[in-house]
Amino acid sequence: MTYDFTLRVAGESGEGVITIGETIARIAAREGVHLATFRTFPAEIKGGPCMIQIRLSDRKVAYHGEKVDCLVTLNQQALDENLADLREEGILLCEAECDVPMEPSSRTAYQLPFERLAVREIGSRISKNIVVLGALAHLLKIPKNRIEEFLAEKFARKGQAILEHNRKALETGMRVAEVKISAKNPFKFPKGAGQRRMLMTGNEAIALGATMAGMRYFFGYPITPASEIMEWLALHLPAVGGKVLQTEDEISAICGVAGASWAGGRAMTATSGPGVSLMSEALGLLSMAEIPAVIVDSQRGGPSTGMPTKTEQSDLLLAVYGSHGDAPRLVIAPTSVEDCLSLIGLTFDLAEKYQMPAIFLVDQALSARLETVDPNTVKRAPAAARLCAEGKDGGNFARYRLSDLAVSPAAIPGTEGCEHMVTGMEHDEFGNFACDDETHTAMTVKRFRKLAAIEADPLSQGLCSYFGDSNAEIGVVTWGSSAGPVEEAIKVAKERGISVRGIVPKILNPLPHKELATFFQSVKRIIVPELNFVGQLASLLRSTYRVSTINLTKIKGVPLEPSEIVSVILETAATLNVRRASRYGTAR
Amino acid sequence: MEPQDRCCEYLSGISPVWCPGCGYYGILSALVEAFAELKLPTQELALISGIGCASRLPYFVKTYGFHGIHGRALPIAQGVKMANPDLTVVVVGGDGDGLAIGGGHLPHVARNNVDLTYLLFNNAIYGMTKGQFSPTTTLSNVTKTSPFGLTGEAINPAALAITYGATFVARGFSVKKEHLRDLIIQAMRHPGFSFVEILTSCSSFNTIDMNVARIVNNQDLVNPDHDVEDRLAALRLASDEKKIHLGVYYRSRRPTLEDKFKEMRSSAHAKAKSRPEGLVKQFL
Repeated sequence: MTYDFTLRVAGESGEGVITIGETIARIAAREGVHLATFRTFPAEIKGGPCMIQIRLSDRKVAYHGEKVDCLVTLNQQALDENLADLREEGILLCEAECDVPMEPSSRTAYQLPFERLAVREIGSRISKNIVVLGALAHLLKIPKNRIEEFLAEKFARKGQAILEHNRKALETGMRVAEVKISAKNPFKFPKGAGQRRMLMTGNEAIALGATMAGMRYFFGYPITPASEIMEWLALHLPAVGGKVLQTEDEISAICGVAGASWAGGRAMTATSGPGVSLMSEALGLLSMAEIPAVIVDSQRGGPSTGMPTKTEQSDLLLAVYGSHGDAPRLVIAPTSVEDCLSLIGLTFDLAEKYQMPAIFLVDQALSARLETVDPNTVKRAPAAARLCAEGKDGGNFARYRLSDLAVSPAAIPGTEGCEHMVTGMEHDEFGNFACDDETHTAMTVKRFRKLAAIEADPLSQGLCSYFGDSNAEIGVVTWGSSAGPVEEAIKVAKERGISVRGIVPKILNPLPHKELATFFQSVKRIIVPELNFVGQLASLLRSTYRVSTINLTKIKGVPLEPSEIVSVILETAATLNVRRASRYGTAR
Repeated sequence: MEPQDRCCEYLSGISPVWCPGCGYYGILSALVEAFAELKLPTQELALISGIGCASRLPYFVKTYGFHGIHGRALPIAQGVKMANPDLTVVVVGGDGDGLAIGGGHLPHVARNNVDLTYLLFNNAIYGMTKGQFSPTTTLSNVTKTSPFGLTGEAINPAALAITYGATFVARGFSVKKEHLRDLIIQAMRHPGFSFVEILTSCSSFNTIDMNVARIVNNQDLVNPDHDVEDRLAALRLASDEKKIHLGVYYRSRRPTLEDKFKEMRSSAHAKAKSRPEGLVKQFL
């Protein structure tokens, strides 16, 4: 019997909702349980509704779950807004003062006076979340010592008084729950593999992965939802000899990356859509001057300032094309937190090897969500380096030498005899400006040849995930964080007797042509679910492969739900059946 | 080796694209003489520029060079210096590049005291695009894009640099080549952000603001009694509207960006939370 349990905690920002969720998540990850989470953020700095959802399983999970088994709400608004997502047979744990609808009767509701207990017994309203945690620990049958141990670590720096406060609050919650909550509730504490799993957010994974990949120069300008990358690096990069600079704007950030990278370092910036818009001129410079760089784009609702705390996948075309002129770049889109950790290293390797900018495309949901990660992922070592001249070129170094090679050797400033110019102007082999048509053609071809070389490079093979049945007639193509809901939807469709094949390319420029072309030949219908209005991946696929696509787009600021994908799969299956029927003349 | 030959070592052999009579020839000459005087190995020099006539200079010298995008020479140079503090980094650019499109970067590179030298060629006009007003244009009121006069007051580059927190600020004149060379040498020797505003003519599009004869008649060297550590006195000299003072206005010492990074590194080692061994452990 597999273990698969989804919990949601909802309340007002500032009520400690996230602490409750994170504590449960950490303890489960230490047991070796797999988990995927999702959290929302209010648009305001203080206050506003927020929630965290955690799906625990003894198998790897790609999606945080649609309906929840257990809902914990800290106030009336949270109850009203989240109750619809509780399973009919689910369990609700909420504040005693709240009005709970009687229907459906299959639900169990436990109403406990959390706030009153916190105020009367602990003497502080802010201890409420720990009282809730105590009750939840009882409900989920989490051993008390595990929670105590975790809280002691988490609040160690806050001193003995706070620790004692928390211990008391936890006990109060547990004691009250023991009386009120039936011991016959169906939940049990998950039994994991025993080996601890790493638990981190997408942003933390990117920061750690980049550090492990040898990134030592980070330039950034704070922006939601990418700021945590810079915050983590500011704390951790100095000790390993790295430097983090908060610049005056995103333009300065990417130019700092260009300078540091030209000078020989592995450099990165992280931003969101508005930042990438500002950076697009420099992206062209990096393509033109052939300088490696990694730019993380954590997408949010756009255009313009858009919806800073909401997720969207609407920067794909900006990532692939955004810059004037023909400016090739690499675009990599991880689908999970584990991908964030492992693929950022690959992104550095490819950027260095092919001397070009690389955009690492994530989104708010992926940046912010906690997920378990295999601890071995972190062991990836850099697998490629920049091709560099060794020096003493006789004083006439051809930085942009034309040859059959995919790249020409660079020279790091300081190298004797290789003094040269890099430039954003069209240039000859020596970096001197040149505006003749022959040079411009030869150099443009030189820069674009890298994309073909990347496609054939062993490093970039195996960058597609496949789901479902290989002989299915219905195909689904998606990208980035929508992969999880698609994987889940394909499983659900299978349960309903419909075979679906899914493919998720994690490299979006250059597209993995061989794999996509084979995929398109094998299916009769192509559904493309993604989080934007115009269907950006669909439009790339249509123009590249001349295929027709069924676009499933969503711009609600939250991830796709498997049920939304399943219903399009069902509709598509129906049209296939009609067509098959007509072929035999029965529908007429 | 003759001084002349030493200078030639720093020239790339590419002929400048500048117009005949352009003041930049004098600046290029003063710059390579400064390099020769400082005996800097060519491979340890990095010249960074943005866009404009002045920004073409790196092509004409035989050093490592980065011709970037309009207005962004300073952030690029800051990145270069961070990744390789051993390089001697010099930024060259015009008044439009540095004070219009790129005006937002100067305060931050100055306040961070990045150890590099910024030579701002001030000819008070956009030359490469053929004669539109720049942020320092005042007298030649009527330009191609201000046929009915200017809309704004001119910026005073040296005064700005002083208020922004540059730790070395000077003003030179392209015609006084030897004096300029000495200013560049002092600027390059200065540990920290050094800023030299170089008054220079545009022989094609602005012969009024930076009229050579007018400047020659209205200039004087900074009085030897001037206290270069007095920021307000420096600001008064830089802002003097009656006379142009040539020389070093301001010089002070404070930790450079690199010094700060070194401090951070030792603080990080002292702080349990940020030690390298905690990188992975914190997630388990």
